[in-house]
This record gives sequence, C-alpha cells and structure tokens, in this order.
Amino acid sequence: MTLERELIDAVGAAHVEPLDGGSWRVTPGSAAEVAEVIRRSRAYRAAVHPIGTGARPTRVADPRARVHISTRRLDQVLQLDETSLLVHAQAGLTGLDLERILGPRNLTIGDYPPVVLTSSLGGIIAVRTPGKSSARHGFFEDAVVGVSAVLGDGRTVHTRIAPRRSTGPDLARALCGSEGTIGFITSAVLRIHVRPESRLVAAYTLPSIDAAVSAVYLALREEAAPSGLRIYDAGKAAAHFPGLALPAGQALLCAATAGPTDLATCDRDLITSAVIAEGGATTDQALAELWWRRTHAGEPTPGPQPTLQVMATPSKLRAVYRAVGAQLASSGGMAAAYISRFDADGAVVFFTLEHGGAPADDETVAAAERAAQAAGGWLLGARAHKLDSYLRALRDALDPDHLMNPGTLA
Amino acid sequence: MEAAAVDIDRLQRDLEVIFGPRRVSVRHVDLETYARDMWPRLLIAHRDGLPPPKLPYAIVWPEHIREIVAVVKLAREQRIPIVPYGGGSGVCGGAVPLHGGITVDTKRMQQLRAVHSAELICDVEAGMSGERFERELARRGYTFGNFPSSIYCSTVGGWLATRAAGQMSTKYGKVEDRCVGLTVVTGRGEIIETDGPTRALRGPSWTQLVLGSEGTLGVIASARLRLSPAPQLRVYRGFEVDDVATGVAAIRRVMQKGLRPAVVRLYDDLDTLMSSLGHHDEPAAQAVVGPVPPIETGALPAWPGPPPAEPDGVVARLLEFAQGKHLRRDAINTALGNSRLVNRVFGTVAEKLARRGCRMIIGLEGARIRTEVEAALTFHELEAAGARDQGEEPGWAWLRHRYAVSYRMSPMFRDGAFVDTMEVASSWESLMDLHRAVRAAIGRHAVVMAHFSHAYPDGCSIYFTFAGTAPDVASAERVYDQIWRDGLEAATRVGGTISHHHGVGILKAPYMAGEHREAMAIFEAAKTSLDPDGIMNPGKLGLASRGRWS
Repeated sequence: MTLERELIDAVGAAHVEPLDGGSWRVTPGSAAEVAEVIRRSRAYRAAVHPIGTGARPTRVADPRARVHISTRRLDQVLQLDETSLLVHAQAGLTGLDLERILGPRNLTIGDYPPVVLTSSLGGIIAVRTPGKSSARHGFFEDAVVGVSAVLGDGRTVHTRIAPRRSTGPDLARALCGSEGTIGFITSAVLRIHVRPESRLVAAYTLPSIDAAVSAVYLALREEAAPSGLRIYDAGKAAAHFPGLALPAGQALLCAATAGPTDLATCDRDLITSAVIAEGGATTDQALAELWWRRTHAGEPTPGPQPTLQVMATPSKLRAVYRAVGAQLASSGGMAAAYISRFDADGAVVFFTLEHGGAPADDETVAAAERAAQAAGGWLLGARAHKLDSYLRALRDALDPDHLMNPGTLA
Repeated sequence: MEAAAVDIDRLQRDLEVIFGPRRVSVRHVDLETYARDMWPRLLIAHRDGLPPPKLPYAIVWPEHIREIVAVVKLAREQRIPIVPYGGGSGVCGGAVPLHGGITVDTKRMQQLRAVHSAELICDVEAGMSGERFERELARRGYTFGNFPSSIYCSTVGGWLATRAAGQMSTKYGKVEDRCVGLTVVTGRGEIIETDGPTRALRGPSWTQLVLGSEGTLGVIASARLRLSPAPQLRVYRGFEVDDVATGVAAIRRVMQKGLRPAVVRLYDDLDTLMSSLGHHDEPAAQAVVGPVPPIETGALPAWPGPPPAEPDGVVARLLEFAQGKHLRRDAINTALGNSRLVNRVFGTVAEKLARRGCRMIIGLEGARIRTEVEAALTFHELEAAGARDQGEEPGWAWLRHRYAVSYRMSPMFRDGAFVDTMEVASSWESLMDLHRAVRAAIGRHAVVMAHFSHAYPDGCSIYFTFAGTAPDVASAERVYDQIWRDGLEAATRVGGTISHHHGVGILKAPYMAGEHREAMAIFEAAKTSLDPDGIMNPGKLGLASRGRWS
C-alpha cells in the first residue's frame, strides 16, 4: 500500500490531488477524515501542511513526503446557539460565508477588519497577527471560545466551551497562533453578535496626524467603542479620495459606530467632540460612507497597495509615522500612510512608499523598515525568537517526529 | 521525595547563600503557617487541632527575580518541589506543599514599577497586595478593575496564577482579559517574558498558557496589566424579579445588547433573603466603618468587614441560624445535619418572607457620558424584561458591604459547621440546567444558596454557597468531599465548567480530566516544556505525576 492509496482510502480519489515531488493536496470533508489523513500520513512519516484560503502548497527543501490538507470542504456550520450567541463553524468557512449564514437570522460575526471576512476561519485563528481586532469587540482571539483540532498523533481534541474558566491554562489559546504546528484546526466555536440596531459613519479633517491620533485616543479614553477608525495623511487621502483637496500635513479621520441607537450616537458624539478639542471639524460624510463600503462591502479602493505595515503602541504611533516619512524624504522618496485597526494594543500604520513616482525598491523598503523598528514599531509577521526553545519542547512532546507543518515557527 | 530524605540543615545553608539568613525560615511555626491556604477542607481539620498533612521544608522570601531563578535552579539540582505562595487566600489548596519542598512567598516583591499612561498599561511585581495595588493606581487616576472579595489578603501574582475574577468583572473582565504579558521564572530556572508590548507577535500565546497554571509551570514574578481610567461616575440600583429564570433572561438581554454594567448580581430566593438582611445600614455600623472613601480613590473601604447591624424578629433568628451566630453547636449540627429539610424549609420561608421575588444588583461605572447613556439603556432593558426598579439604596448598600461576606465564614467554622463556595459557569443555553443540577447535587448534603454574577454576552457564572456539618473531622471531610464530587460531576454533566475563578489546586484536580478530556495533552506538553523535571508545585491541577512525586 502506498501513501497515495492510503490517502484515497481516507477521503476518496476525487479529493486527493498529486502535486510534484512526492506531495499531495488532500481535501477532507470532515474532522474525522482530517484525523484519518494525519494518522495515515504519520505512518509514512509524511509532513502535514494545512492550507486555508490564503496559503498555497509551498516548495520546501524537505526530503519527506508532504501532504497538504485543504480546509475547503470543511464548510459547515455545526451548531448555532442563538440563546448564547455562539456558532460552531468548520475551519474552511470564511468570514463572508459565515455572514451569509448569520445575516438572515439578524446575527453577525461582528465588526472586524475585512481580512477576517476574506480569510478562512482556520487560517485566521491559526495565525496571530495584528489587524484582525476591533475597537468595538476586542481581539479576534477573544471571540474564540473553543477549538477542535487534530494533534500530530491523530488524536482529536475539543477544548470545552464556557464563557470563562479558571481550570488551568487556556488550551484553545495554545492552538490559536500555532500555525498548524500543534494541531490542525478543524472547527471553532465563536462568539457572535446581534446585528447592530444603528450604524453611523462620520468624516473629519484635522490639522495634523498628531492631532488625529490624539483625538482618537481622547475618544477611546471616554470609552467610545467605534466599529471602525481610519486616519489618512494628506498623501493617502488624495490617493483614496481624488476629489478631496487636503492641504499637506493635515489628516482625514473616518469613523464608524454601531450598536443600540443611543449608544452609537453617543460614541459618534464622543469622537466628534474629541476631534473638535484637537482643532478639527466634521467634513463631507460621503467620504466616510465610501470608506465603509470599500472596507466592508467590497467596493474597490484606488491607488497602490500598502508596501509596509507596522504595528505601534499608542505612544509610538506618531514616532513611527514620522520616522518612515523622514527616512523616505532623506532619499528623495515619499511615504503616504493611513492608520487603522485600532485596538487596545495600538494600531497598524499602512505605508505606501514611492520613489520617483514608482514603487520604492527593496533597499528603500528595508531602510524604512529599520526606521520604523528604531522608532518602536513592530513589523507585521514579526516573531519573538526568545521562546523558541520552549515552543520546540512543546512541539516535541506532541509531535516527536516534527510532522505538523515543519518549517513554520521554527 | 519525603522530608526524611532531605538534609534540612544543608538546604537551609544553601538557601541562606541565596537569600541571607533573614529571608529563609525553617521554624516550625512558619512551616505550619505555610502548610495550608484557605481551603475549607483544611480549615475543618485545623479547627479541630489536627496538624497539616504536609509541611514545606523551608520558606523563602525573594526580593528580586534573580533570587527566584537561583532557588528554582537549586531545587532543580536537588529535585525538590517549589511551591509559589502569594497571599495564601486560595480556597482550593493550590499553595499546599503536597510533597514538601521550598515555599516561595512573593510578598516582598511588591513594587508598582511603572504606569505607562499613554498605553494604559502598568508593570507590577507579583507579590503586591491587591488592595495596595488598587490604591496606588487610584492615586494616579487609574484602576485595574479587579476587586475580588479577597482583595485585602490576595496578591496580583495569585490572581494571575488562578485566573481570578473580581466583583466588577462584567465590565473589566477577568484578570486573563487584562494581562498583556508576564515575566515568569520557568521550572527550567530561566526567565521568560511572554508577549508584550503587543499581543500581535506570531506563535501561540505563552501568556494564556501560563495564566491559570497555579505555579505548575513557573513562578510569575511580574506582569504587564491593562488599566482603565478611574471611573468618573458610578450608578448603582437594586431590581427585583419574580424568579431566577426571569432575572437570568433580563441579564442576558442586557449583555447581548452590547451593554457592559460593572456589577451584575442576581440572588436566588434564599440568597436574596440573606443578602437583604446582611445589608442593614444602622448608624452604629456606619460608625465602625468610618467614612467611605470618595469614588475617585477606587472605593476600597478602609475596613473591609463591618459587623452587620443586628436584625430582629423571625427573620433575625433565621439569619442567625444560617450564619451560626449565637447558636449552640448542637443546634447547628441538628439543623445542618438535615440539609434537605432545611433547604426545603428555607426555600419556603424565604419565598414567603421575600414574596417580592429575587433581588438583583446592577452597577455601572466609567467615563461620565458613556456611563450615563449605558445606565439608561441597561435599566430600560431590565424593566422591559420584567425587572422592577427598587431604587439606588440596595445598590449602594451592596457596594458598601461587599467585602464583608467572607468575614462571616469564621464564626461558622468556630461553631462546628463548614462553609464553602462553588463557582461554576456555562453558556446561557445551559445556565438554568446548571443551576438546577448543581443545586440539587449539593442540596442532598448541605444547605445551599446561589447567586448569578460575572455575566458575559455568551454566558454567566453561578456562585453556590453551602453550609454543612458532621460530628467529627473524618465524617465532615467525607460529606465535604461528597458535596464537591456530586456538585462538579453535575456541572460537567450539563456542560458547565468546574471553576469560573477560584482555580483548581488539589480540590478540583480529580475533575480536570473530565473538564478538558483529550486537550489535557496540550497542558501536559506545556508542563514538559516549561518544567521538564516536574518540580513546580507537583500534585496539582490533575497533571500526570512526574519523577518521584505521585
């Protein structure tokens, strides 16, 4: 019996696709099939790599056979508890898929950034990165109540469901962010929300980026919980809103609030008064409506994609913005930016770097990255290596042959 | 390893090299003090003069993380257990030195090292007392928001090690919701920093793996915790509902609207009776309490346990009966010994006396404008769900006396009974089943009452208080163990968790396999990674025995 035969036995021939160099793409239709694929792969010492919507089978310099397990057919809602507002969904569903199922029941996964809508649930949970949190609901991981996963030895674990517990470490959180190295996530139980009664958007101009950042934190300290916030500098505002002539140095702030009407109005008013306190004023609401449609209704955004994404804590945001701008200016280039994804940790600055009207070259981007880090920012996708020996030991204990997504987080 | 096999003199000398002579103790009185925490099962034996089951070999008081590293390395070399110790207020035996070892009391590490106001984060050492922590923060205009009833005798590190919750957790969250990162000395004797300043770095969250591990993975030395501006406004009101189910539905409605009151408490019939009688606000009692500090200071009363005013009449006798006050030991034994009857009688009497139904306390606090709006919306939702507004007084009375209840337990022990609390939780869907199942399970053995607190959009915690008695220590322990076995098995059966915020320790260790099932493999793997020799707090949390400790 060959591994390919074993895989076909486990999931059916239609769902096993040979790739080059001793590897296969397998598309199981249930958690039980995932467990079977992992057990059989293990018997052949084949490495197991998860694939969500974003990932593609990668060519790894590894002599072992490789089985790429796609979550595409894990696309069912297993349980919807409308009393507790919990949904048990399989890993292959995207945020948009979930919204389509929940919408008719007046439910929603909540106001998270667009990346949550387009990614598979398994992928969004498996990779820890900023930019999936919301000022309204908090960190996306906080919405994960439980996780079902298949460990390297083929055992299936279901972490238990409770609103909170005090029974040792949070074992679901060991799987969140583990990028498939501790277990293959097959489904998760998520907290969901009733669709907000009201949703309000507003746009403001402010005299500077500093003033805009200050206004945002002034409002957040007054406990406003907006469902979306974005600060554009003049360069980025011009690119995204061609009709808007914002003088250099000034900033555009778009804000969305949601909830019971009184609360959504209260939050919008808190933001407005913070803006006024920082010397700003309301501007054309149509800008904010357009921004919201682009980020949440799939309307295309003009202009180049961001070149560099930097996470910064509240006190470092302005310094990171200035440092990258100064670095580009020193080499004759230009940086335009927007700041978004505000949460309790800080926010993400999305820079578009240009040189002579063309995208900045690798060297310029690398210099900008160094400037951002020197100013206290964290590049997206960064890792802290200081705990690597602990992660290795944890993986050794669960997966002694290192078959679960080897090469990742290594 | 047994004490006999350890050369205590040599150990003392080795420890004195690290800590100096004044911060090491092997005196019997100290060893006996550190042999237990506030686990009621041990208090039963202690009351009757029985020695603790096991003493630590020595106690040390580190002042710097370097010293913790040194003592863990020493323990690792000599294969001696390390038992971290905070305030000693745990109620599950988590700090009991089951296999002897060195007890590491963190209370001399008690600095609030920094408050980063832009980030709303502070850096605090683990041994800082909860009360001092909140007072220091209040002085600077902030709050961490964790106000457990043990706040006067627990430490920040103890909170983090057990995933504690405070009375205002519905707004601020449990401690795990407020922790940005930890500095930990692992069982390898190394310092690690988990996460921080951002939670956004790739890889699993080591913070969430260490939180709640109760010293089985390492010693928490300090933490970066999230702060909130001190509240500008507090709004408290009492409500009454016809029955528990109506109250539960009302709370769910508020939480799922996106509203976040700080305090949500719903008392069942008997607890309603007890709580209303315990909150009399006689001038005499106020004189003892002294002036209540203004809310800007965090509202920690200077005197946590004011004696409640003496009620009178039938109600008073009932209350005294329940509290064991002024009653002869044999009367209590007779009453609590027939708990089923008492539960039934109390239920009936409580119902007749209360009539009005079940009491709720709702409190909101925070920034002025938003709190005002949220309060109006919250009270509107409650009334729409059938709750009747009882005005501000019940709310403020609760706030004034909220720390007193724990201090009422001592007289019960003194008079021969035992009291304990079982805090379970579930999603809303299972909550009423959880209430019925656990109440029935405990009610077979003891007098039981409950309140619902710590609400979330997806569920809620239930806090059962039970009181029982038995003629001698052995049979009291037997009844006590039966209560816990039946109660926790009932909780697991209906889909609840066995602990919402007290932790596991020794008490709930046998139920961890049922709680986590196959996922315990991940906890075991974390144990192997962080504490390969199994020296950290062995025998706790249902982990497999390692090395010589079983």
